Amino acid sequence: MKDLWASLKEDIFLTDRLMILCALSLGVWGVFCIYSAGAGSAGRGFDLAFKQAAWLFVSVLAMLLIIIVGHNKLLEGAYPLYFLMLLLLLLTDLLAPKVNGAQSWLGFGGIRFQPSEFAKVAIILVMSKFLSRYPPLDLKTFFAALGVISLPVLLVLLQPDAGSALVYLVISFGMLLAAGTPLKYLLTIVGTGLAALPVLIIFVLKEYQINRLLVFIDPMRDPLGAGYNVIQSRIAVGSGGFTGKGFMMGTQSKLKFLPEPHTDFIFSVFSEEFGFAGNAVLIALFSILLFRVILTGLKARDRRCKILTSGVASWLWFQMFESMGMSIGLTPVTGLPLPFLSYGGSSLLAVFMALGLVASIYISEVNSKRVF
Amino acid sequence: MEVIDGRLKFFMYSITFTMFLLLGGLYLCQIYQGDKYIRLANNNKLRVMRFPAPRGEIFDRNGVPLAVNDTTFCIMGYPLDLNTPEKLERLSKILKRHGIPIEVQDLEKVIKQQRLAPYRVMKIVPNLTMTQMAELIADYEFPHELFPMSVWRRTYPAGNVVANVLGYVGEISEEELKARYEEGYTGGDSIGKSGVERSYENILRGRPGQESLEVDARGRKVRTLDAADAVKGEDLHLTLDMAAQKFAVELLKNYKGALLAMDVKTGAVLALASSPVYDNNPLTWGVSGREWNEIMNNPDRPMLDRAIAGVYPPASTFKAFMSIAALEENVINESSMFSCRGGLRMGSHLFKCWKHSGHGGLNVIGGLQHSCDVFFYQVGLKAGIEKLIKWGRKFHLGEPTGIDLPGESGGNIAGPDWKMRRFKANWASGDTVNYSIGQGYVLMTPIQIARVYAAIANGGKLVTPHLNKRSYKEPEEIGVTPEKLAIVQKGLTYVVSRGTGSRAGRYGVSVAGKTGTAQNSHGDDHALFAGYAPVEDPRYVAVAVIEAGKHGSSVAAPLVGQLLAHLLAH
Repeated sequence: MKDLWASLKEDIFLTDRLMILCALSLGVWGVFCIYSAGAGSAGRGFDLAFKQAAWLFVSVLAMLLIIIVGHNKLLEGAYPLYFLMLLLLLLTDLLAPKVNGAQSWLGFGGIRFQPSEFAKVAIILVMSKFLSRYPPLDLKTFFAALGVISLPVLLVLLQPDAGSALVYLVISFGMLLAAGTPLKYLLTIVGTGLAALPVLIIFVLKEYQINRLLVFIDPMRDPLGAGYNVIQSRIAVGSGGFTGKGFMMGTQSKLKFLPEPHTDFIFSVFSEEFGFAGNAVLIALFSILLFRVILTGLKARDRRCKILTSGVASWLWFQMFESMGMSIGLTPVTGLPLPFLSYGGSSLLAVFMALGLVASIYISEVNSKRVF
Repeated sequence: MEVIDGRLKFFMYSITFTMFLLLGGLYLCQIYQGDKYIRLANNNKLRVMRFPAPRGEIFDRNGVPLAVNDTTFCIMGYPLDLNTPEKLERLSKILKRHGIPIEVQDLEKVIKQQRLAPYRVMKIVPNLTMTQMAELIADYEFPHELFPMSVWRRTYPAGNVVANVLGYVGEISEEELKARYEEGYTGGDSIGKSGVERSYENILRGRPGQESLEVDARGRKVRTLDAADAVKGEDLHLTLDMAAQKFAVELLKNYKGALLAMDVKTGAVLALASSPVYDNNPLTWGVSGREWNEIMNNPDRPMLDRAIAGVYPPASTFKAFMSIAALEENVINESSMFSCRGGLRMGSHLFKCWKHSGHGGLNVIGGLQHSCDVFFYQVGLKAGIEKLIKWGRKFHLGEPTGIDLPGESGGNIAGPDWKMRRFKANWASGDTVNYSIGQGYVLMTPIQIARVYAAIANGGKLVTPHLNKRSYKEPEEIGVTPEKLAIVQKGLTYVVSRGTGSRAGRYGVSVAGKTGTAQNSHGDDHALFAGYAPVEDPRYVAVAVIEAGKHGSSVAAPLVGQLLAHLLAH
């Protein structure tokens, strides 16, 4: 036990403390934002913030646990983890009760969690291993890689959770790109995707999803219906101005003009209260975090580790860009959580687990030079 | 490995690029357009609620309510809260349980009207009584997202009996809004559209209450920023006698025309009936376009208040005025005689008397008593049109009496100037002949006739007819010699006691008055009668005009007699 503690202390000393600091700052800031979004102690704010803080604590513990176990062991167990993930996603499809029209929750001893979030970590692990063992340099391996990813995508689409499916695809695309897939393959995929868009819109998307896309083009076509969220969110962000209205002073969220203020539109709450200045700091924190993740990949010598960091970076970047962009109408509304800030234990836990993997890589691959 | 590192570096550039993209977007939104969004955020949370003031109520002279405010209730709610068939089913079930037959389909139809604005409050169920609303609220299953709102509704208990006097209220129109914007009206306000409701709008309307609210996204009150209570409008007490009014309407039931009664000394109107009648209640509550067109395009024009806006030839009722003018101008005196052989020849034209066999020799009293046309032809010719016009102006003929109702007509005093303006033709002596028996170009409203007869009854004072007790104006002295007026009064008394108007005197009160039968180019002659009672000390004047009633003596005189008797008996 003492040895374990000593090695953990050493690990923490050796890990990328800047990255961890950014992650923790974002997480703590998120707790405050959720408190405000829930209208403080007068509303559900305290309750929500307390739960989020508890989840943040659990998440940090999980990150430390992953650092202790090490990324190597987890990569070795990637395939079993992959099949466990498939099983959980399947169970979710079969067992979970419907929440907001989608079944994405599994109850487990009183704690509910979203397998679709943890699947992101499992996908990163299995793709790192697969892509480094079978570099996707020819069509055969390329399609094999696509086969690996298609199973979780299909299972999560059945929930139906198009948002998570989109994230899986973006993560995979990023990892395929990093793994050196010939660009013509990737461009073909993108081209096919664009060509299939009309079919997707007509046959696959639900009416509300089509509406979301239409109001993305012109929110005023339905200002009190589907366009409402976009307009109100833009008003929230815009009225923040340069310095913001101050913590707990946002009217758009307090008076409930913003729908889902503590989850999907947490960035709007943040922007309204902290303004452009706060946003600049927030974007800086995210940038440093993402740079450190990729830097870890650049310095690592293990192929699997390089590809792994690209997956983590793609994931966090995409959800951040989409969530922030949606708040100002730059991207369509998808309902993806903003990493670290949006309320949700599973999402937070999964993100910190992924960062645990990156931290572990940093310790052994980057700082190990000093040790040896 | 180099490939992977290259791709990872590409990641870094891409991330840097998208971060700047985000910053740019945020700059546009928060700094460049920041002011616009700050304003929008403020508009979002500020609402000014208006509470319409209860309108002043209207009573008759004895305190009988004529126009009152009913409180009705609406159920308000958000379409968002009723977005599933199960919720509608539940609401419909609760409503039906309390005897309100509203089906799910009805609710669906209502909600659908505001499909695009589910966040805005709307009226779900209108027009509930206090009892119904109380029962619903007490129902533990009543959805708490719905809430009641009380609404004032103007009601006229007597309906069509006083509709022409009271008028009705309705939502302010765009033109009215433009014209009266300064007075603090806003869209959706109620305003008097006709009748007393319109002429006393400023007294009746009161002051609407206002509340500036901070609201949440569903328009629900978070806190009040500023508030002013609504002030009820002032009540109005009319001179109208509901019993007499009802009686007058009853008398007119089978006719088209007007029947009115007025206090001869003050001008206080006690009854003002116009037939056919209309009901003002549905007009106030809102009628469909089809119903509205039906009322407006009705050939009988029920919305025309014939008592004040119907213009008729005064016919023989004009002879009382002629007598006063001629006596005052010394054209005739009490003993001046003219003979009637059934007609007056002027050039090639023969102006007939209504009695073709002729009346023989008559003085002014006999002329009135028998309503001899030829007598008045000669009086008119001897006086000349200028003197008649001069006296017409003294009686303010050709101009509205100033009764406190909108839409009053002034009639037409006519004369040479008018004829030149209107027809570009000279006044002929034949025109004067026609004028002398109240035919031809002279036109009067029933209320104008009543005013002339009131002046005869009260000793030569011109009153201002009014409906609001507080609108009494001092009568205007015309300047008639009492002795000469007494001659006319005597003539009018004989009309009823032993002349053409005897049917007015069969109801137990002594009446003085004059019949009239006006030629009507569109059909049967109009029947008129103007009279006052009691003869000894006149109190009330009454006028009846029956369109196409043929004979004033047989049709109009009994109506006036009965109405005067009714007034004096009560």
